[in-house]
Amino acid sequence: MLKVENLHAGYGLSEVLQGTTLEVPEGKVVALIGANGAGKTTTMRAISGMIKPTKGSVTLGGKAIEGYATSRIARLGLAHSPEGRKVFGPLSVEDNLLLGAYNHLPMFFGFRSKAAVELGKVYELFPRLKERRTQSAGTLSGGEQQMLAIGRALMAKPKVILLDEPSMGLAPVIVLEVFNIIRRLKEAGITLLLVEQFAKSALEVSDYAYVMEHGRIAIAGTPAELHKDERVLAAYLG
Amino acid sequence: MVVSGALMGLVYALIAYGFQLTFATSKSINFGQGELVMLSAFFSLSLLDWGMPYWLMIPGGLLFGVALGLVVERTCVRLALEQKSEGWILMTIIFGLLGFSSAENIWGRDDRPFPTSLPTDALQVFGVNITPLEISVAIGVFTVMGLIELFKRKTLLGKAFEAVSADRDAAELMGVSATRTIMLSYGLSGLVAAMAGILISPITTVGPTMASALILKAFSVAVVAGLDSGFGVVLVGIVLGALESLTSFYLGSGWREAPGLVLLILALAIRPNGVFGKATIRKV
Repeated sequence: MLKVENLHAGYGLSEVLQGTTLEVPEGKVVALIGANGAGKTTTMRAISGMIKPTKGSVTLGGKAIEGYATSRIARLGLAHSPEGRKVFGPLSVEDNLLLGAYNHLPMFFGFRSKAAVELGKVYELFPRLKERRTQSAGTLSGGEQQMLAIGRALMAKPKVILLDEPSMGLAPVIVLEVFNIIRRLKEAGITLLLVEQFAKSALEVSDYAYVMEHGRIAIAGTPAELHKDERVLAAYLG
Repeated sequence: MVVSGALMGLVYALIAYGFQLTFATSKSINFGQGELVMLSAFFSLSLLDWGMPYWLMIPGGLLFGVALGLVVERTCVRLALEQKSEGWILMTIIFGLLGFSSAENIWGRDDRPFPTSLPTDALQVFGVNITPLEISVAIGVFTVMGLIELFKRKTLLGKAFEAVSADRDAAELMGVSATRTIMLSYGLSGLVAAMAGILISPITTVGPTMASALILKAFSVAVVAGLDSGFGVVLVGIVLGALESLTSFYLGSGWREAPGLVLLILALAIRPNGVFGKATIRKV
């Protein structure tokens, strides 16, 4: 579904990605793990067009998307839930979710009724969001904001979701909850690329995993294979 | 008298509201906004001269304002924002100068009266003398601002507008084009400027110099209230308008411009984010 080949990208003169290659097959959860600064977030940003790749290709459902504007890539079916969640603080929870489905809804009137089914599904997955739907998103706790960010991505009915560090800054109990949600998304057949610091938990929920080091994929394999790899055991699962 | 001053202040507030619209989406404002007011007023006057009925002139003038706003965005702002430069400041000032000399060449240097179809006799409302014209200013200002606020809150496009103001990157990730949203905000800002011109011209006159007088006060209002204060501009506009008419009555009309500048300096010294503004921290 999502294919990244020999991707180079960076900020200014520093090239962070030095030829990243990875693939996310339809209906699979793929984890991207690695140390801080290895280029995980940059990979996601280069895929969704938040930074322009300098070299290499990104294809979504067979269509080349590298170099497109972020909003255009989003319209083509890629939902990127960014690092730090980035919910729209002053807007209500429900408005945040509606904006997630921006590409499918009429611009002026009747968008609420047209979004009702999707909205219902997201509220079913996250009952807390339903309770707080009129509250402004900025007043939610970190965990709730993360649920909102995931819900917002689901509203787009995307081909692929990129989920960047959903556990960042959350209490351990909430992290467990987040991984339960990811498991449920996996059961629902959602195609997902997951960036995580918690390598162990990430491997538990994923079908395939890539380990990133210094802007390149260093090791790749199924979670079972990675568990047998000495380097991975020493560096990430110790 | 104070009431007429306050109603003038509503026009300042309306122009300041135009600053807020573009500042919300792009953190940029059009320093040539006063010239937009003036050019739209002149254009509307020409529409009347060409025999267009009064009630058709208003939408015509507003459309012209929208078009000017879009021109400003395309020629002065977009490139600068793409380069992440502050070049829009100089470019919009230059646009204003160009607008000023174009107006002098097309319509002449003299102030011209702007006809109105409303009766000019003053009415007694709660013991205050007030002309129908002044009432039309209040109605016009609140209608335009109300409709734009309604658009922002009730339509999905309006919510996208708010989303770009809140977090431009995240809005792009939802598929909202920030560039188009900024265009929209400049179009609306042009519409607001044209409305201000059409409302104020019958009370004052239309002339190339009306731009600089108006923009200074609108700018004071915007800064004193805060560029993200929403309806805060209305209150500050009313206060400034009333203060102006008081000072010109008691101290002479030469002092008319003083309150705006004094308020501006005080606000910058005491509350740089505006009386109603939120303190923002720029993360680097």
